[in-house]
This record gives sequence, structure tokens and C-alpha cells, in this order.
Amino acid sequence: MALEDFAAQADRCSQCSYCKWIPFDQVKSWRFAKNCPSIAYHNFNSYSARGRYAVTRSLLHGDSAYTDTVRDIAYTCLTCGACDVSCKVCRYNLDPLEMVRELKFRLVEDGQCLDEHLAVIRSLRSDQNTMQQPSSARGAWAEGLDVPLLPADKAEVLFHAGCRFSFDRSLHKTVRAAVTLLRGAGVDIGIMGDWEMCCAGRVYAMGYRDEFERMARANIAAWTRAGVKTVVTSCADGYHAFKRLYPELGSQIEVLHTVEYIARLIEQGRLAFRSEVPMTVTYHDPCHLGRQGEPYVPWDGVEKKIKGQIITYEPPKPRYNGAWGIYDPPREILRSIPGVELVEMERIREYSWCCGAGGGVREAYPEYSSWVASERIEEAKATGAEAMVSACPWCERNFMDAIDAKGETMQVYDIVDLVQRAIAGEA
Amino acid sequence: MSLPKDIYRTLEDIVGTENISDDPAILDSYRYSLAHTAIHLGPFYDTCTPRGAAVLMPGSTEEVQAIVKLCNKHKIKFKASSTFWSAQGYPSEDGAIQLDMRRMDRILDIDEKNMFAVIEPGVIGATLQAEAMKVGLNTHLPGSGCSCSILAGATSYFGSGPSNLYGGWHYDNLLGLEWVMPTGDILRTGSLGAGCGWFCGEGPGPSMKGVARGFLGAKGAMGVFTKCAVKLFAWPGPATLPTEGTIPAYRVKLPDNFKAYTVAFPSWKAWADAAYMIWDTGIGYLAHRQFNMFGRELKHAMVKILTDPTKTLSDLETLLEDPEVQRITEESMRDFQIILVGMTQRDIEWQDKAFDEILARTGGWKVEAMLEPEIHDWSMLYLIRLGHKNLNLVFGGSYDGCFGLLGAADFGAAHAEEASEFKKEWEKHGAVVQAGGDCMMGPIGGQGGGGTCLWENFTCFDPHDKESVEGTLALFDAATAMGIDRGWGVGMEKWNAVARGPDGKTTPKEERDRMHKDTPQPSMFRYQHKVREALNPNDLGDAYYETLED
Amino acid sequence: MDARRAGLTDIVGAAGVVDKPEMRNTFSLEHHLAAPLSPCFAVRPKNVNEVQQIVRWANETGTPLIPVSSGAPHFRGDTIPSVPEAVIVDLSSMKRILKIDRRNRLVLIEPGVIYGPLQQALREEGLRLISPLLPRKNKSVLAGLLEREPVMSPRYQWNLLEPLRSLEIVWGNGDVFFSGSGTFRGEEQADWDEGRVPLQGPGPGQLDYYKLVSAAQGSMGIVTWASVKCEVLPHAHKLFFVPSDRLEALIDFTYKLLKLRFGDELFIVNRTYLSYILPSSPTEIDVQREALPAWTVVVGISGGHMLADERIEAREEDIRDIAQQFGLKMVPALGSIAGSTLSDIIQQPSAQPYWKLRYKGGSQEIFFLTTLDKTPAFIDIVQATAQQEQYPAQDIGVYLQLVHQGVGCHCEFILPFDPHNPDDVKKTQALFYEASHALFRQGAYFSRPYGIWADMVYNADPKTTHVTQQMKDIFDPNRVMNPGKLCF
Repeated sequence: MALEDFAAQADRCSQCSYCKWIPFDQVKSWRFAKNCPSIAYHNFNSYSARGRYAVTRSLLHGDSAYTDTVRDIAYTCLTCGACDVSCKVCRYNLDPLEMVRELKFRLVEDGQCLDEHLAVIRSLRSDQNTMQQPSSARGAWAEGLDVPLLPADKAEVLFHAGCRFSFDRSLHKTVRAAVTLLRGAGVDIGIMGDWEMCCAGRVYAMGYRDEFERMARANIAAWTRAGVKTVVTSCADGYHAFKRLYPELGSQIEVLHTVEYIARLIEQGRLAFRSEVPMTVTYHDPCHLGRQGEPYVPWDGVEKKIKGQIITYEPPKPRYNGAWGIYDPPREILRSIPGVELVEMERIREYSWCCGAGGGVREAYPEYSSWVASERIEEAKATGAEAMVSACPWCERNFMDAIDAKGETMQVYDIVDLVQRAIAGEA
Repeated sequence: MSLPKDIYRTLEDIVGTENISDDPAILDSYRYSLAHTAIHLGPFYDTCTPRGAAVLMPGSTEEVQAIVKLCNKHKIKFKASSTFWSAQGYPSEDGAIQLDMRRMDRILDIDEKNMFAVIEPGVIGATLQAEAMKVGLNTHLPGSGCSCSILAGATSYFGSGPSNLYGGWHYDNLLGLEWVMPTGDILRTGSLGAGCGWFCGEGPGPSMKGVARGFLGAKGAMGVFTKCAVKLFAWPGPATLPTEGTIPAYRVKLPDNFKAYTVAFPSWKAWADAAYMIWDTGIGYLAHRQFNMFGRELKHAMVKILTDPTKTLSDLETLLEDPEVQRITEESMRDFQIILVGMTQRDIEWQDKAFDEILARTGGWKVEAMLEPEIHDWSMLYLIRLGHKNLNLVFGGSYDGCFGLLGAADFGAAHAEEASEFKKEWEKHGAVVQAGGDCMMGPIGGQGGGGTCLWENFTCFDPHDKESVEGTLALFDAATAMGIDRGWGVGMEKWNAVARGPDGKTTPKEERDRMHKDTPQPSMFRYQHKVREALNPNDLGDAYYETLED
Repeated sequence: MDARRAGLTDIVGAAGVVDKPEMRNTFSLEHHLAAPLSPCFAVRPKNVNEVQQIVRWANETGTPLIPVSSGAPHFRGDTIPSVPEAVIVDLSSMKRILKIDRRNRLVLIEPGVIYGPLQQALREEGLRLISPLLPRKNKSVLAGLLEREPVMSPRYQWNLLEPLRSLEIVWGNGDVFFSGSGTFRGEEQADWDEGRVPLQGPGPGQLDYYKLVSAAQGSMGIVTWASVKCEVLPHAHKLFFVPSDRLEALIDFTYKLLKLRFGDELFIVNRTYLSYILPSSPTEIDVQREALPAWTVVVGISGGHMLADERIEAREEDIRDIAQQFGLKMVPALGSIAGSTLSDIIQQPSAQPYWKLRYKGGSQEIFFLTTLDKTPAFIDIVQATAQQEQYPAQDIGVYLQLVHQGVGCHCEFILPFDPHNPDDVKKTQALFYEASHALFRQGAYFSRPYGIWADMVYNADPKTTHVTQQMKDIFDPNRVMNPGKLCF
């Protein structure tokens, strides 16, 4: 695809502003009705999907040129996909998330990059991670776990820790717990340690399509060499990259998020909780596990008009609107943990508010990123929960940082942390 | 056309650096594509409204006032819009300042006892409704849906919608009003101006609210409305809508005092009889011919798509071949939707019985297929929240209403079939969606308590397709000619042609004068001219405020 | 003088011009300020053309015009000339009911049409007009509507001007104009059959002309016909009472009914007011007043053309339940006063003599808009002022009429006095003056500013005053229409 391929969509965008709000049928209050952090923070129409369609149109028509503002308009998009969900409540022939990605791709192709992003890209090229850390330190999180190390060792299931979990020391406990409990349940699981590479989902969201493809092909090749049948990850970004983006490049491997695997194990009676975790929690749906966590459906078709001017596709085009994301497994897990009371925020599932870490925003616009997280924390506080639980290290880190910055008391857990507590009997 | 630097800097001082921009890309996201035409203009292929000189986002009445005063000082035109739904909210001439009222989005008060809310321009229908429901109240939502500014509908345009029947249209519901007039002076109407609160917009004496808005509203051409109070009405339902279902087929199961029906009639006469009887009997919470906007021939197939999250428009043709869908489509040819809401159990029982009696007397029937629980609950939510109005544009990306028969039920009913047949013939040309000619939708009760109806014949087309746009324009020209010939007047498709031309800019004065002189009562435009001269001496609005010089 | 008479005679004929007409004003708000001026002529036009010619003549001759539609006595001073040499435009001869359209529930009336004959004509067509409480027998329906007189049934009042719809207006500049959808005058039966009818009040276009002539005291123009929305004539009707010793105890109950839009008639009166509106002699009033509860909510329930009895039954039971929830009781009679008796009384214009004059021969009103929850505080102000001015507080009638579906409340005080007793007059004047100012200071909204109220409200809101004057300059540039009123 090229940006020009979105010219029709830019013309057909209804200019209705549905992209600025959660699906209206779900609006429960004035306070938590917005869905798009970008427009909520910057306010100019241009920072919404509607506005970005208009900016795209303007650029394609040559009516405006690249400026710092244009770069901001593109790069402040978290690619959280909330606009896409809301747009598709009514529209069957627009893909605003795809469009804004394409806009970022074009900016990168044209050299309209941000320094903060380029630093990430350099790290990716030199050390195969986005954290600007040496690749030799990647496997440190698993020290002492005695888990098969692929490709030298063999395992059916590969646990992919991802950049954030690998290099964010305070989060190591989560991935260590994940591997431990999966192994404990009899799963034939291994890791790649220092040889693990970034999924590149985050650089894809920054606009670096070529870097993404390079890394994706490298990962697919590595998994093939290792004979892996299934990849499990606790990172929602990684999950999305592997599940939705890699198949387009030929990957046929089964992809599961830890929550799916754990929910399956609980259902099969292979995980038993021994102790109560007395805690009122609320669950934050990571964008890339929830609304963007729908499985990839191959499609190679063309537009076809019926009844004169009704736009359809031949063959029918898959519709990604968040309907079939991963929403229930994490909730089933939380409900099954003795003592945990799950209270829901107003914006959940496909219309969840983003954590603020995605799309290269955490790297390039830290203040805005922190504000996005703070908004979610406010929403969590409104439920009366004492802790926010999620299933993505990027979300968790962004929340933790925002909480620290504001001196909040809200606790943040990965869902695996609570499972581990209930299994290990830690109070 | 950019602003002189000193003026830009002064504006920047007023609203803050982060709330003003003249970046071309930003400005272009504040232009409206006139291939879209929502609210009746065009379509004009590849035409946008003119680029503004700057966009500002004021945060208070004081800021708005300062901006407007500066505009007067330098004779700069300005146009405010809150949610930018239609072309009317955009400037008509180069070099205008655009005010995006989005930041002024507070619900300042909900007076539960006296049943009104005080709001700023950025408050949309969905959020006001959600907050009102928490205290057992509801707000009327304009036909453009819950994404739109309530203040805009109440102050600056019709404000009419499905819940007119019980909720009153926003013309009725507008109470106290704070108006930064075109000169920058502030007028507070009614009890507000007297310092007595927001509950009354009229008076003292002759009501100056009548200057702020008439039937149509000034469409953003006469200053900026910065706050208003709107009347609310009872919501005898849950404090939060218990929405369930898979997107986009959301639905809501409400208590037994809520009933949503789709009813149909053997003739337009019977349809109108039912409308009159509903008003006479005083039943109904909301009544609208809604789903017919998809077209007489497509509507049930579309309902099947919209209530099934696995389906898309690609399923339409298959569904249309389904004999059951065909039967229901035929059965619901002359239909409308109605929601009965009982304030008590006895009330709903009586309303239900009375409605059955109306159907018996008119020969009407309930469309059984629309009573299937999932479809019933979907249509209930659709109509109560009005959060799917963007389905107006589902087919090709654009729509506009042609004809637009507004008046007593008998008026539209007398002509609906002829207008439909006319459009059906045009649909064969291929430029617009072939939907069966009759895509008429509108409220059954165009004002508080009923008494009028609206038939807006939806015409859907592809704004990216030059032939489609130009073919649609040809249809609209023909529809206008027919409306004039039949004495129905100029149809909705051309209602705004007097203000804005095919180039997106102000219609030439000679053209406007000709159109205004051609109306049954040209003096109304002469009076508007005098009012414009008195209240907007520097003429800083646009031709959406329609004037005719003596 | 002769030239003026000749000019008017040319328009309406000799019989249509009356020299030095007697205005028969009773005590009015103006009286404490200045002796009333007398008009020099009254002129009786028969149609819009004559009205238009009169207005044009007035513009040419600089003659002030005062439109009057209702018969005497006039109460509020709006028909008393504020300037010399004024001519009364007496519209009472224009009293045709031009059309009753049952299907669209519209009636077209001229300004001289009064309630009694109109309600009778509507009844024959299965319709009725929601009306104010006990208007004078000779009160013009159109004048009452233009004055934004409150009506007894707030649930039918979708805006404060309801049920007024389209108008034919002769502006002060002499221009004839149709407001709302008045250009659909329905002159052809085919138009009525096809629904081309004057059923819109607002507009046309982007101004609300009928709002500019409402509560204008004839200062903007003369309305020569109006379309008015009617309600279906009830097949059955019941009136109930919900009494209490304390007003506060009735307020939440009334709010609940308003919210549910239960109660076709719905208002609150104190015992004094109720005793005044019953057809009694002054002595009987004294006796009756003592027997009545301090405060009463009057609730009417009616059934229209569909399942009327069932509707009434359901409503009656619901309202009874609601009353019980608030610790109140809904009763069909207050002692010997049956609901049906009061119903018969209030469905008609006032019996003669006009009820406001029955007790002492004279009466002063104070009325304004507020919200229901604020009324007890306003009542306290009037009571305290009465005490201060040594006016008998027990004689003060209080009427709380909810308006605009309950968003607002017309709060009215009736202050009877003996016009032949100077002390009584003086105390009433003092009470009226002091209470008006005290109420205004506490947030009473005098939306229909007669007499001294005009200065109060317009002085407090210079911007509204200025814009109102700007409109006056457009529609009555020579200021011939009732000069000296409002802020003109």
C-alpha cells in the first residue's frame, strides 16, 4: 500500500468525528467518553483520524507541505486504533488506523523523521532491540530459570519476552513467573535468551516499515530454524506483531498471548490456585491485545460497487473492528483467582483508552505520553480499585511512571503477577 | 491568506500559543469537503470550503469576546463551530478566522428538579445524555445524532430529531442563552440577563431570544453562543445504558416500560392517520422513520447486516435474495419506528393498548421481524442514543437529503410516493445508490408534542467518484425543479445554495437576491438584513445569515 | 383634532371612530406614579387592511397608537397611554374565528375573539384550548397568548409561547408580515386538506417574529390573526386536590408529577386564592377560606379520544400512589367543594363580576417567573412586606402555575383592596411597591414587565435593553406603537 491508495478513503471520510469518541452506545459519562488521546490532548481537529485524513488529502493534493506541525500530527498518533473501532461502528469502507500508519510510513520514506525515533532505529539495527541496550544483556531476565534455550535446545513452544520485559529489570519477575508457571503446568517451553530479537511492532507503529519487515523476516527465519510451533508472549505489542503483522510476511506459526495460554490451562484444570489474593482490581485492555488482537485474515481483492454506488470488495474484505480481540481470557483469569474482585472501568474491551506508550509517543513525546497514562489512572481510580492489572509491559511501565510522577498510590500488576501469587501462595 | 503577524500575536496572547495555528495542514483539516454535503449543499466534486486564516480554540467566554472584538477592530470575518458536522460550520470566504469551540465542553449544571442542563458548546449529545440519565433525565438529540453539539442544535440550527415528540425539539428546549454578539458585546437572554438563573430564555418583554435564533438559527453567522441551558425530560430507565452485544451490533435490554416497534401501513393515508392519532392520544417517547434511510428496498437487509457483527456490505446482495428478507421488506414499505416509554407500569400498559387501537383503526401492523429480541434491543439502543447517525454515509461515503417535505403529516403523505417514484427513476442512471426511490426518513413529530413530520429523501453516492457526484448533482437539480413545479418549494438539497456556491464560497449577491426575492415573503430577508446591520455592523459573519437589502 | 378624526374616519368610517373613549381602568400598577392620560380617540378597524392604514396614518401623523383587544376593566396599565394624543386601536370588533382544523388541531382567530365563544366553537369540533386560569369574560384570547399569560396545563406547553403559532402582524412601520408558517394561510380548502397549514410558531427563517411581539404590550405592532394549537377535547375529565398545611410538603410531589407529565391541569394555590376563585360573596369567602387547607395542589386528569376512561383510571391510581409516597393524600373534594365543581368553574372564563374584584372591589397583582423550589422564599418576602406595610396577610392569594413543562413557575400574588378606601389603597400601593423591589432583589424574574417592573428589569440589564431598542427601531422606527412602555 502507498499513501495514494488512501486517497479514496480521504475523500470518503465522513468528517463526522465519531473517531474522537468511544462508540456512542458505550458512553457512560462525560468524563470518560473520549477515545483518542491525541485529539484529547492537542485539541486541533488535525490530531484526530478525521483530521489526519484531511491532512493526508492536503498533502496528496499538494496543498500543504511537511512542517514540524505535520510531523507532530502524524507522530502523536499512538496507533492505538480506538478511532478505527469507533469509525467502523458505522463505516465498512474506511480504515483510519491503516491510513495513519501509511502516513507515518510516507513521512519516514521522505526523511521526515524524529530524532527520538531514529535513536530507537539505531538501537534496533545494532542490537536488535528498541531499548538502546546491548543485545548481550537480553537474556539476563531468565538467569537461573533452567529453561531450554533455543535454538540449541528444543521446545515446542517459544516464550518471547520482548524488549521491554527483557531490559526493564523491575518487570523481570513477570516474565520469569510466566515461564515458571507454564513449565509448571507441563508446557514444553523454551526461550531464545540473548538471541531473541525485537518483534519490531513498535517501529512499525513509528512508521519504519522496512525495519519492521527486516526484523520480522529475521524472527520468522529464527523460529523456523528452531522448529518452533507456537510462540507465546506476555507482551501485547509482540503479540500483535506476531499475530497480525507477521502472517502477511508468510509466518504460519501459532501465536498466543500468555493470558490465552493461562486461561486455557485453568480451564483444563492444569493450573490450580492455592491462596487468596484479596484485592480489588481493574483490568486495562492493551490496545494490541484487545482491539488490535484480532487474527489476521488474508485478503487480496479489489473494490467493487454494487447497487450503483455501494462500496464493497471482491472477495469480501476482512473487517478488523475490534469485535474479536482478546478480552475475555484475562477477565476469566482474574475472576478465577480467589479473593480478586474485578471492577471494570468505563472504557474497556474494544473501546479501551490507550496507556500512552505506543506509536513511538513514549519515546518522542514523554509529557503527552504521561498525560495519556494519567487519564487512564484517573479512570481506574474512579472504579475504587486498588490496582490496575494489564497484560502488556509497555502499558504497565507507562502507568508506573505516571503514578510515580504524580505520587499516586495505585498499584500496577501484570496479570501473571497475580496468577503467580495465587499459585505460589504468596500473600 | 494569512493574518498579519501582529494580529496573530494578539490572538495568541488571548488563547495561548497551543490554542492557535495557521499551519496549512491544520487549516486544511478545518475545511469541509463539499462532495459530502451533509446538511444540504452540493454535491460539488473535489471542492472544499475556503481555507481559514487561522484556527483558534478559545477556552472561555472572555476569550471569545476578546477575539470577536479584535475581529471587529480589524474587520476580520470569523466563524465558530462546535462539532463541525456540516458545511454550515465552515467559513465561506478566504481569510476568515475559525473558532473551534471544542475546549469549551463543560456541563456546568444539571438541575435535576427543574429539569434543565447548562452547557458549553463542546458538549455533545452522548455525554449530556449519559450524565442526565444518572439523575433520571434525558436530553433531546438532534437528527444529526449524539456526536453533535447540543448547544449548536439548540442555538444555531433546527435542533429537530426523533425525540421531538416527547422531548421537544431544541428550539423549544432552549432556555437561558449567553451570546457573544457579532460586535463582541455579550447578551444574556431571559432570566439569565436579569440575574435570575437559566430557567427561562424569554423576555423581559419582547423576547430577544427571537433575535438569537428563529426557526433555522443563524448557522454561526451572527456571533458565538458560549453557554446555554436546555430543557431535559424524564428518563424512567437505568442510570447507565446497559449496553451489550458485539460491536457494531450493540444492543440494550431495557425494562418492560420500554417498547420499540417498527410499524407499517397499507397506504400513506393510513400512515398519516396514525401520526395524527399518536399526537391526539399523547403517546410515544420517540417516533421516527429511521431505517428507511437505507432505502425502501434495502432497509431490512441492512438491519440484518447491522445486527450481525460477522456481516458486511458484501453480504447485501445475498441477503436481498433471501425470500424472508424480501417478504419483510415488502411488509415494511411504509413504516416508521416508535418507542413507547411508560412512566409507570400502568402508563406503559395504557400506551401499549392505545397504540394497538391506533393500529387497529388505521389498518397498520407491527413488523414482527423487528421484534426479534436482538433486533428489538438493537433498534432500541440505536434510537435512544442515536449514536449510529454516521450510517447516513455508510454506502458510498456521502449522502444528502433531497426534497424535504416538512409540514403536517398530510402534506408529506400526499407527495411522498410521487417524490419516491421520481428518485427511483434517477437511481437507474447509476450515479446514486439504487435503494428503491423511497429513502425518506424523518421525525413523526417535527415539533414538541407532534403536529408536523419531515420527509428527507436520502440520496447516497460516492464522493470520490466524479461521475457519481456529478450525477447526483443532476438529480438534485431535477428534484429542485420538480419541487418548485409541484409547489413543494426548493428541496433540502438546495437549501443552502443561497449561502454558498459550487466553489465553496459565498454565493454572488445578485444570485442571492434573486433567490430571496423569489420566496413567498422576501421581507423576512429584509428584516434579517436590518437586524444584521444593527447587530453585526461590520458584517463579520457570512451569507448563511440570509439578508436582502431594500 | 379634526384632521385626525377625518383621517381615521377615511379609514374605518365614522362609526368606527370614538371620541375620548372611557378606558375604565381599575387600579393599575401605574397609579401611584401619575394620573392616567386619556386617549383622544378610539378607532375600530374591521380587517387587516384597515389596521395597516391606521398604522401608516399614525406614522404619517406621528400619532401614538395603543392596540387593545380585550374589554374592560384593564389591570396592568399597558393600555393606558403614556403620552398625550394617543389613539386606541380597538380590535374587539375583529372577532371572527377564521378556521378550525380538527385534523391539524389548529384554530385561526382574530384578536377580538374571547374565550367563551371560542371554547364553545372548539368543543363542537372535538377540540379545546388550554387556557389561563379564569380569564375575564371579555379577555381577548390572542392578547392573553401574546402576553405569555400562563396556562393551567404545563404539560402541553412545549415552550413559553405555546399554544400560540403563526401570526399576521402589522408592524409599527405599517408592513404586513406573516410569522411562523403564516404564509400558509389556508385560504383554499385544498391547502388545509393537503396539510399546508399555519402550524409553526417559530420563524420564518432566522428570526422569531412572534417572540418580538410577545409581551410587547402592543409596542411593536398589531397582530390581526393568529393560529393557535388546540388539544383534543377530553371525553372524560376529573379534578382532584392534594392538600397540605405546608407548601414545602407539596413541592417535591408537584415536581414528581411534572417530571412524569402527569396531571393535565396542574397548579398550586393557597387557601385565600382558592376561596377567591370560587363563586362566593365576600362573607362567604371569609368563611370558606378558614375551612380550606393552607395549600392545595389542583390536579386535573383527562382522557382524550382513545381509551379515555382507562387513561384516567391509570393516571388516577398512579397519582394517588405518588401522593402517598410523599405522605400526601389525593382527594376528590375539599370539604363541600367537589373537584367537579372546581373543574366546571375553571374550564370557563370568570363569572361576573371578575373574580379578582369580588372580595373588595379592587385588586392588585404581583407576578413573575421563578422555579418552583424558590417559591417559598418569595412568599416569605411578600408576607414579611405585608406585615411591614400593615396589609392583612391573610388576604394575599397565592397562585403557583408551573409553566413550560415545569422548568419554570409563574408565581402570582393577588392583593385585594377596597378602591374606595384611601388607606387600603395606600397600604396596597406600598406593599406592591416594596414587595416588587424586594422580590426583584431576591431573583424574581419579571418577564412581563408592566409598569414599575419595566424600569427594574431593564435598568438591570442594559444589553437586553439596548438590543430590544434596536429591534424597536427596525419594526417601529417612528415609535408610534404604545410609546412609553417597557424600555421605549
